[in-house]
Amino acid sequence: MTRMQADNPASPTATASELVLLEAVRRRDRRAFAELYRLYHPRLHGYLRRMLANAATAEEVLDDVMFVVWKDARKFRGDAAVSSWIFGIAYRQAMTALRREGRYQAGLDRGADAEAVPASAAQDSELIRTALKELSADHRQVVELTYFCGFSYREIAIIARCPVNTVKTRMFHARRRLKYLLPLLAGTDKEQNRDQG
Amino acid sequence: MTRGDAMSHEQARDLLPWLVNDSLKADERDRVDEHAKSCVICRRELAELGNLRASIAQYDDPIAVPAPDMRRINARIDALIEKETRLQRLLSGLREFMASPWRIAFAAQTALLLILGTAMLWPQDAPVDYITLTSPQTLPDGAYIRVVFDPTLGGPELSDLLDAMHLTLVEGPSDRGVATLGFTAAASVAERHDVVANLLTNPAVLFAVPVTSGAQ
Repeated sequence: MTRMQADNPASPTATASELVLLEAVRRRDRRAFAELYRLYHPRLHGYLRRMLANAATAEEVLDDVMFVVWKDARKFRGDAAVSSWIFGIAYRQAMTALRREGRYQAGLDRGADAEAVPASAAQDSELIRTALKELSADHRQVVELTYFCGFSYREIAIIARCPVNTVKTRMFHARRRLKYLLPLLAGTDKEQNRDQG
Repeated sequence: MTRGDAMSHEQARDLLPWLVNDSLKADERDRVDEHAKSCVICRRELAELGNLRASIAQYDDPIAVPAPDMRRINARIDALIEKETRLQRLLSGLREFMASPWRIAFAAQTALLLILGTAMLWPQDAPVDYITLTSPQTLPDGAYIRVVFDPTLGGPELSDLLDAMHLTLVEGPSDRGVATLGFTAAASVAERHDVVANLLTNPAVLFAVPVTSGAQ
């Protein structure tokens, strides 16, 4: 099993070169900043695009994130990977944007049934997209950061500024809800019920 | 938990998503693997998470990432740098100015003068809007006398007194016993003062003062 290729957050070489770039950004090196921007643009865009309503909002928030990176580069203490620090900023900006969009509480008020039919291979990208939108922002962030961005639970705890157990709990609830939603969205539960009836 | 400790089902189950995304530390990964070998539930869960991951990988692909466009962020950074530069320039100018003790003394003196000048020129508090016995209120234009009679003074005595002085009760007495009297015949300023003086000789008159309302 290999770490997901799409976002590859913290390979040692990546971390070292990113540290060098961030160090230069601290010294107000515009060229280093441009390089860091280009390096993170696809990862942040993917992450924000999946979290937010549309591409334009995602690009706007991405600019906000990188502007904070420029402004606060001096605040980076180096006790976490550069990617965790930048994604931490993105996480908070995304949460703010979600609150603005009024999508923060999505899915929270609907009960999840742990005994629902297990998710099957019928899951496809459209179903995933729909199901993820049904998760609460906190739960969705953990799923996004794990499956799309490939972060470890420790890194997610740093990004979300919460204890590791909270990350695990959020993931547990997110999985339970996805397990309930995916068959429901695919219509397989109805088929099963019909078969059983 | 130390390396080699057996992992409980709950601990292993909670870590499965990160076993699937291959981000667990080696010892954690080994222990979750070890547990999964003997746990049907975790193996089923792993299979489901594998499906989920595969679906997510499909979903991830179609997102078209636009080419990075740094124009907007560059403009914001330019504006920030300009602001910082202005502030920097101001601070360094200030530091340069303050380098000499004479200048510090001059600045302190100027500041003191400014404070004193401001205090002196500061507008005084606006006059309080209060009503005195001599303030005409809603009376028609004319000359009047504000008067306070002894509360024991009876009605007939008061009537006699007013008649004798060619006065009439225009208003009052108020809650505080203040009455306003008007002249029944035209009277000059001197005559009005004489009437007031006469009134004050009467022990039943505790207070009397002439007032005018309008352009008198």
